[in-house]
Amino acid sequence: MSVAQAGAQGNGPDRLEVADVSKTFGSARVLRGIGMHIAPGELHGLVGQNGCGKSTLVKILTGVYTPDPGGAITVDGRELSLPVRPLEARAAGLAVVHQNLGLVDDRTVWENVRLARYQAARFTRRIDGKAERAAVAAVLARLGANVDVHERVGELSAEDRAAVAVARAMQDHQDGGGLIIFDESTRAMSKRSRGRFFELVRGVIDGGASVLMISHQLEEIVEVTDRVTVMRDGLVVETGIATKDIDEAGLTRLMLGRHLGTQNRVDSVATPAPAATVRGLNARSVRDLDLDVRKGEIVGLTGLVASGAVAVAEAIGGARSAQGGTLTINGKTLHLRKRRDSSGDFIAAGVAFVAERRLEQGLAGEMTVTENLTLPRVKKRGGRFRTGGAWQAQETAAMIKKLDIKPPDPHKTVGTLSGGNQQKVLLGKWLAGEPELLVLHEPTQAVDVGARADIIEAIREAARGGCGVLVSSVDAADLAVLCDRVLVFRQGKVVAELTGDMTQDDIIHATFEPAGDAEADAEHPAEDTELNVKGVAR
Amino acid sequence: MDTARPESGDVAVAAPGTAGTQAPAKRRRPAPLTQIPSRYSIIVVWAALILFYSLTEPSFLHVTTFQAIFNSQEHLVFMTMALLCTITIGEFVDLSVPAVFGFAGTIMPVLVVNHGWNVWLGSLAAILCATAVGAVNAFLIVKMHVNTIVVTLGMSTLLLGISLLISNDNTVSGVPASFQSIATKDVGGLPISFYYGVALVLVFAYILACTPLGRHMRFVGASREVSRLSGVRVDRIRFGSFVFAGLISGVGAIITVAFVGSFNASSASQYLLPVFAAVFLGTAIFEPGRFNPLGTFVGIYFLETGVLGLQLHSAAVWIEPVFYGAVLVVAVTISTVLHRRVT
Repeated sequence: MSVAQAGAQGNGPDRLEVADVSKTFGSARVLRGIGMHIAPGELHGLVGQNGCGKSTLVKILTGVYTPDPGGAITVDGRELSLPVRPLEARAAGLAVVHQNLGLVDDRTVWENVRLARYQAARFTRRIDGKAERAAVAAVLARLGANVDVHERVGELSAEDRAAVAVARAMQDHQDGGGLIIFDESTRAMSKRSRGRFFELVRGVIDGGASVLMISHQLEEIVEVTDRVTVMRDGLVVETGIATKDIDEAGLTRLMLGRHLGTQNRVDSVATPAPAATVRGLNARSVRDLDLDVRKGEIVGLTGLVASGAVAVAEAIGGARSAQGGTLTINGKTLHLRKRRDSSGDFIAAGVAFVAERRLEQGLAGEMTVTENLTLPRVKKRGGRFRTGGAWQAQETAAMIKKLDIKPPDPHKTVGTLSGGNQQKVLLGKWLAGEPELLVLHEPTQAVDVGARADIIEAIREAARGGCGVLVSSVDAADLAVLCDRVLVFRQGKVVAELTGDMTQDDIIHATFEPAGDAEADAEHPAEDTELNVKGVAR
Repeated sequence: MDTARPESGDVAVAAPGTAGTQAPAKRRRPAPLTQIPSRYSIIVVWAALILFYSLTEPSFLHVTTFQAIFNSQEHLVFMTMALLCTITIGEFVDLSVPAVFGFAGTIMPVLVVNHGWNVWLGSLAAILCATAVGAVNAFLIVKMHVNTIVVTLGMSTLLLGISLLISNDNTVSGVPASFQSIATKDVGGLPISFYYGVALVLVFAYILACTPLGRHMRFVGASREVSRLSGVRVDRIRFGSFVFAGLISGVGAIITVAFVGSFNASSASQYLLPVFAAVFLGTAIFEPGRFNPLGTFVGIYFLETGVLGLQLHSAAVWIEPVFYGAVLVVAVTISTVLHRRVT
């Protein structure tokens, strides 16, 4: 697959050159001096954690955002005017296939492919369906996809849908030109569809087009792309690394960085008393999971996309439906079942769930810090006819101080705070309720280094106060400094359990390697062996 | 008039010494001077309007003018508060409010005058019917997840039809004078019904600003998922809001019938635009960019002042719609722009 690339490199201009592109939102610089090159006929990967700036970069390339002055975007040696004008980008052969493929299920294949390109007859303004269908059929044939242009898109298989989206993206390409950006396009595809999809992509590349593939599936990035660019915190960490020289673990290390060594492990404060007991949990791919969290213990849940770690955290936190299981806290037992009208039962039992998507699940951006922070307790602590100002002011002031929320203004609307401070408000919202079990999902995602240190310290303090803590995260660095125990999930099963002193590398290793290499847990030898057997058997 | 008053002490407690130097806090006091024009701009325009009319038309500055403004809008106060119930929880297009109002306003005189019911019993029946309609809306929208526009548009047409049917498309008059006094009794130069409206607005504003229920309603409007995960009974609050919208419309209808003494079923449909206009205009007053009861209340009387003044100048029919439309678009545009700048 690197033949085309090798032949094309060195002679002629890059297909896409991004030079010194930055983007500032208000006071936040989300992209800093981004530079990358994509050669003609190259399959280039772009990876980075959520919030690292990948999607901002794509939005600049497609003209949604205006970059800060000073950068340049060049396609085939021709510099695009900034901000990128969608029609100019299209003329240059730049096309994006989005996560959900951007198809209208209710319409036919040809209508979807030709959307916004219909040619109307001069006088009647009628769409010439015959010519349109012929054009679409030709593009699909070029892709080698066998799809009926009359079919409704909603009735197609996943790989055919992908083919339609790709056909739409590449129909304007000149022979040997064009660049398609796949933004997490494979997320919703099954393994088999993915295989077909990559054949399709390879077909596109053999035609001379280039591809920029953005994905969280590091495995597929390493397997299919030629070279890869890694972003972290709005910067390009490395660009143009040949994927034959690096593996998933290496990429993960680059994505996470070393966080400047701000945090060290501290001694465990776990006590023998149980904080929460989960029995027979069924959620998503997870079957019959038992999990014990002791008071003061911090347990990490990690794994690749769709491994089940997230499903477990969300089911225990009350955010997602479970198909069965029980959660026992302080002698009270909750049945984990389908999604409810309210998480009130969980909160009453002492569960606090710090959600990942902070402005969708965690906080209301238009409400103030005080209002957001006190929401879960406003009914219990306030009177029926009075929310009561004193306790709210007290609680908010305490959390602003403890988490160092800036600016320290309890009446500021949450939407105007920086990401790190929003995350602190979200954490404070739940810590103020003094939970028995604190469930966190990506607690330090897209926050700056300083905020991360404050958040980690606050989680530790909760554990010191006797709270059981579950942290679901793909950030091995966080897990390594925080957790007393890390459960590594793969395909719905715990394939490794790490305890005691562990490093970021140990966790990354266990995430990607077969389970047999993981450290054995001395405290639960039987359980661990059984799990390992399962892991190897798969 | 600031709804946040009971909690304004928070600033001093939680952020000592910083309040003066912080960037403008959007909603709470102390508001920096730069924000006062946006919050109170309509009030300033209102004052300017009164001054202008007084200078150009001396008869405007007479006590009867003010009585005319303040004793004629209770029906709008009740309907806008009903609409605010559902807007607060994030349902922006309950089109059925005027129709529910008209339905209750038709049932009551029909039962009392045409069928000889006791007037109190008839009123109670009308209010119950309006509340039941709210419950049906709630069931369809919240439980069956039907689109709000479809449900309320259909409901509103249906109710108008039924109202015309039971009233034979006539104005039904003859409500007992003794009953009328519950609305017409003179208190300080204005009918008591004006104070009912004031009381309703104040209670609503208090609930939103100072009670857990109001806080929950605001959060449901801001984000259902955030509310759900914070333990708020989202569906129950949404259901309740529609039921209360029906109840408030029904009570408002009875007070209006008592005030006027008669009701015509087809009159309700003309209230749709003024109700939405006042509620949206309210977002430009007191809490920029946010639906709020006090702002809506001021908006109603501001609009009425403008229309009345213009009618003193000339009695042309076109004045009212032109004024309503222009003020609404201009004021809400300004409020939207200001709100964006603040957040």
